[in-house]
Amino acid sequence: MARHSSEGRLVRPYTMTGGRTGQDVPAIALESLISATEEGRATKHQFRWEASRVIEYAGQGTALIELAALIDVPIGVIRVVVADLAQRGAVEIVDSVGGMSTDLDAVAYTDLLKKVLDGIRSL
Amino acid sequence: MASEASNKPRQTPVKIVVAGGFGVGKTTFVGAISEIEPLRSEALITQASAGVDELFENGSKTTTTVAMDFGRISLKDGLVLYLFGTPGQDRFHFMWHELAKGAIGAVVLVDTRRLDACFAAVDFFEQRDTPFMVVVNTFDGRLNHSLEDVREALNVSPEVPMAYCDARVRVDVQSTLYQLVEYALLRALQGIPVS
Repeated sequence: MARHSSEGRLVRPYTMTGGRTGQDVPAIALESLISATEEGRATKHQFRWEASRVIEYAGQGTALIELAALIDVPIGVIRVVVADLAQRGAVEIVDSVGGMSTDLDAVAYTDLLKKVLDGIRSL
Repeated sequence: MASEASNKPRQTPVKIVVAGGFGVGKTTFVGAISEIEPLRSEALITQASAGVDELFENGSKTTTTVAMDFGRISLKDGLVLYLFGTPGQDRFHFMWHELAKGAIGAVVLVDTRRLDACFAAVDFFEQRDTPFMVVVNTFDGRLNHSLEDVREALNVSPEVPMAYCDARVRVDVQSTLYQLVEYALLRALQGIPVS
């Protein structure tokens, strides 16, 4: 069982994923936003430490890579944990544009870039 | 996109890659505009493998970690822009594919005293057809080289935007990102496929 203390993580990363390697997990982009569902928040305590931390940190939308940094576990581990949580309906994944780029039509993409430009200008 | 189909405001992540040689100021660049202190995240990789994040695909391989620094900027309309610094060391170049996939574009930061340090990044984004721009970090305050000299030295096409930027200065970074996205938009309008 994962135990954490100020001395750091006491389990090896693959223990957290139940020995899974990530090869059977759908690719989740580093910048994909993870948000906790109502169900996830309600059932948070039924999950293992790292999964409940994901639900806690995910909130309204936190990137996969940010969860890895905040919880201080490798990205691959977080990817497995997030995929499991998504399968159980505890989190939702908003994919990045990158993940959608193949089916994102050109007009939608240029509209998105215009919004990004406008957003950067207004910073 | 789902975010436009529903009435509920949803966040949409987008990303820009910040590349360049080791110590050229990538994390400084990210930190100058990020709303969070740049965070560091680690991926476990197998020494022999080209796969990122495939944890222990073979238990006997040696694993190592590669660190990536990143920052976040919340924009209007629910857009969240992530800036990813590429790992500086050459042996981690294979990670760039994952970073570049779906990126709006890339900033290649250049230190004119060590131009060769950015060759790998320029080659990579050219081959991948990712919109990129070359940005000369002026952190030493000297502009010893004209941008056209740098363009020639790097042998990049005339349409690739070039700019000076003090990576410590927020408005410089903002203007750089603006130029990059403008260039990416121009290319998208010309019908060059999204990478």
